[in-house]
This record gives sequence, C-alpha cells and structure tokens, in this order.
Amino acid sequence: METVRGLINRLRPGLHVRACGRVVTDTTEFMSIGPGDVIRVGGRHFLVHRDAVERGYAYKDNKFWVKKCMELETGEAKLLKLVFLESFHLSYGCVKIRCYRSPQKEARMLDLVRGDTRFMQGRTAPDAAGNPVRIIDIISGKRIDLVTAAIKADHETYFREHFPGILHGFIKACEAIGHLHDQGEQHGDISLDHLMREHGTGALRWIDFDYAYETRANPFALDLFGLGRMLACITGKWVHTLHTLGDFGLDPATARLEAGDFSCVHKNEIMNLRKLFPYVPESLNRVLLHFAESAEIGYDSVAEFVGDMRDAVSPSTSA
Amino acid sequence: MNFKKILLAVDASDNAMRAVEYVGDIAGDCAGFSVELLCIERLPHRDLYPDEEAWKKACEATRTELRKFLNRARDHLVGMGVSLDRLTEQYVTSCASPFDEPGPACSQGTGTAQEILNALDAGGFGTVVVGRRGVSKAEEFLFGSVSNKIIHSVKNSTVWVVA
Repeated sequence: METVRGLINRLRPGLHVRACGRVVTDTTEFMSIGPGDVIRVGGRHFLVHRDAVERGYAYKDNKFWVKKCMELETGEAKLLKLVFLESFHLSYGCVKIRCYRSPQKEARMLDLVRGDTRFMQGRTAPDAAGNPVRIIDIISGKRIDLVTAAIKADHETYFREHFPGILHGFIKACEAIGHLHDQGEQHGDISLDHLMREHGTGALRWIDFDYAYETRANPFALDLFGLGRMLACITGKWVHTLHTLGDFGLDPATARLEAGDFSCVHKNEIMNLRKLFPYVPESLNRVLLHFAESAEIGYDSVAEFVGDMRDAVSPSTSA
Repeated sequence: MNFKKILLAVDASDNAMRAVEYVGDIAGDCAGFSVELLCIERLPHRDLYPDEEAWKKACEATRTELRKFLNRARDHLVGMGVSLDRLTEQYVTSCASPFDEPGPACSQGTGTAQEILNALDAGGFGTVVVGRRGVSKAEEFLFGSVSNKIIHSVKNSTVWVVA
C-alpha cells in the first residue's frame, strides 16, 4: 500500500506535513486516527489535520469521530464523520430526551438534500469495514445567534433595519425544514449553532442531521420547538432571560413579566418579547407566544408556523 | 352522528387501559353501544439500531406487546358486558414495518392523532376515546400530545379523554 508520504508526493507535491502517519482504510477505531494519517475512502484520500471541536459559551467538546481533513486529490477541506454509535440524554429545560447518533440517518439525509443549498452538502462512502463515512463540505460561516448579536445597533434600530432581512432568510430556512418533514424526515437537532450564515453568499444553511429519537406522537414537534426558539433569538437579537435584560438596558420590573411570558420548555427564556420591545408587532409576538408557558396550543406543522410568520410581516398585519 | 358508536384508540400504556375500563363501565351493560378498538402501530425507528437484526427484534417486541394489549382490552370489555358482536378491532400496521408488505391503510408514523382522526371520519364514529398521559406542558410540547390534538381538531363527534 502506498505510504502517506508517497500519496502526498503524488497528489499534493510541496505540501508540508509535520509528521506522516499511516493510511487508514478501516475507520472503526476512530480514536486512533490522528493528524498526519490519511483516510482512504470512496476512492479518495483525506489527510487528517485534527479532530473537530464544538464550542459553546461554557464548553468545548472534542468530537473524536469527526476529522478535519484535506482531500488530497482536490486540496479541498472536508469533514469526515466516522461511525460513532451512541445514545445519550439531551436536556430541554427540565425534560430529558433520549437521543441516538445515527450515521445511517445522516447518510440518508445527505442524499435527500443533495443540491439543496439550504443544507450542508456531502456524500457517504463505506470504508473497508463497511462503516458509512460521511464526507462533508465545510461551510464557512457564522451561527445565526452570533450573527444577530454582532450587529452593532441598539435593539430598535436592529429590529427596524436588520431584522426584516434576517426574518426573510429565516422563513426560507424554516421552509427547508418543512421540506424534510414532508419527506418524513426530521432535522433532529435544531439549535442555534446548527443554522449557519454562509460567508460570501449570506445564505442560511442547516448543518448536522445525525440525531434520531424514539417514536413519538408528533415526530416533528422537537424541530418546531427549535424553530420557535430561534425566532425568539433573532427577534430579540439574543435569547433573553431575566439575567440578560440588564445588558440591553432593560428593567425587569418595568417589563412586568409573568410566568406565562417565558418559554414553556426553557423556563428562564422570555418569549413575550413585546413586553421588552413594544414595537414588536402583535402579530409576530403571537407567533412567539405559541412557545410560551401561557400557550393553549402549539404549532403542529412548519407550514402553520411559516404561514403565521408570513402573515406577521405582511404590510396589512405588521403595523 | 351516533355517539353510541365508539372509537377507542389505544396503545399499550396504562392510561390506554384506563380508557378501556372507562368505556367498559359506560357502555358495558347499555344497549345500542358498539366499540371499535383502534391501535395505530408505532414501531421503533430503524435509525436507533446499529443493524437490521437488532431493529427487527425491537419491532417484533413492540408488535407483540401491542397485540397482547389488544387481546387484554378485548377480554376486559367483554368481561364488562360488551358483547363480541358489538366489538371490533382495527390494528393499523406501520408503513415502515420490516415484516410484511404494508396495506394501503398503513400508518405513516407522522402523527398518531391525525391517523386516529382519519379513522374516526372513515368509520362514522360518534365518539372517540383516548387516554391521557398526564405529562407536563413542556413534554407535551416536545413530544406532541395525541389527546390535545384530538380535542382541538374533532368536529361533529364527542371526545372522551380519560386521564
């Protein structure tokens, strides 16, 4: 078998690699695959740079099964997602949901959204042991909540000047999720870090679809909840809690918030944003209140949610 | 609409059995009532299992549990006075079942409540009965709620929610 050095000399001559490792064809033992190794899969060669890292506000998770690579044939950066079967509990407020990481689900989704730029793109190829390795195009961009937070404007200026464009893009992103549901698929992990605004195009694109769940009465309810939380974030320019109000010069006492104004799931997150920002139209606020503790009924489908958002921004109702 | 023509939707849960008991209490000794036991099959999703074998095993276990429950429910209703000629069963298999070729009326698994509503309309039932899990609002929101959806969607029929 050709060595890593041989591959680089043939495919990327001049590329500096600090330490050459081995050529890997069976990725089952993904923990042992590190920088300088080359993964050969799907007739291509991927030089591993490092493990991917997921960063949040107070955490940093190494994703040992996701390798940042260079495709030696093309020089393009790729993410290789290797098979890691795990189940764990996700916390949504006080509710714990059992979640499964499913390579076959993500592989199926990649086929489903091929060519649809509202989603990350990639393909799946089996390694020598039959593991479905997902080869993902890297999206260069910024997560949606960081996009809105970084806009240098007070909230009212943001809301009047920037929000309409952002909402327009968000509605299209929601329609993309509706398209998945129409095909009987769920995204599974709609969170603020999984909707990216791509540098250059400004397009909003969904990433990471490998979460699967136990069967439930409404398999799309969790996705809908994620969309509602995102709407609150882009409307408020941030996810507002009692603790963040001061950062925006808001006084909790003046807002006269009640228990029903908060999210029915994340009890500290404010959904009744009109109490904070009175210029948020009633019609848009009503959409948000579908996700509040005070809601009598939630949305059943993305189509209903999108329909109400569209109504909220139409000239006749948004005044 | 004949409210004495009852559609009793069940899964294999304790609250479904409470609904069965309630219907037995109400309809058992009364003339004119008929009951259809409806079970919408919800099998575990293939994505949760590493291979076909493990998935099939889990599906088999779920199907056996649901069938056993239906038998128990039927025996219970008969024991409470519902005669067999007034008692029918409908088991709607999952379209995603690994076992057999699903029929045209198989369950898509995209919304249990909607499938119950479809059966309600198709069968001309005057009353639909479901159990209620008694979950928190947050759980109801994140998982969906069959009873809530039915309460808000049914027209021209009576809804009994047994909590």
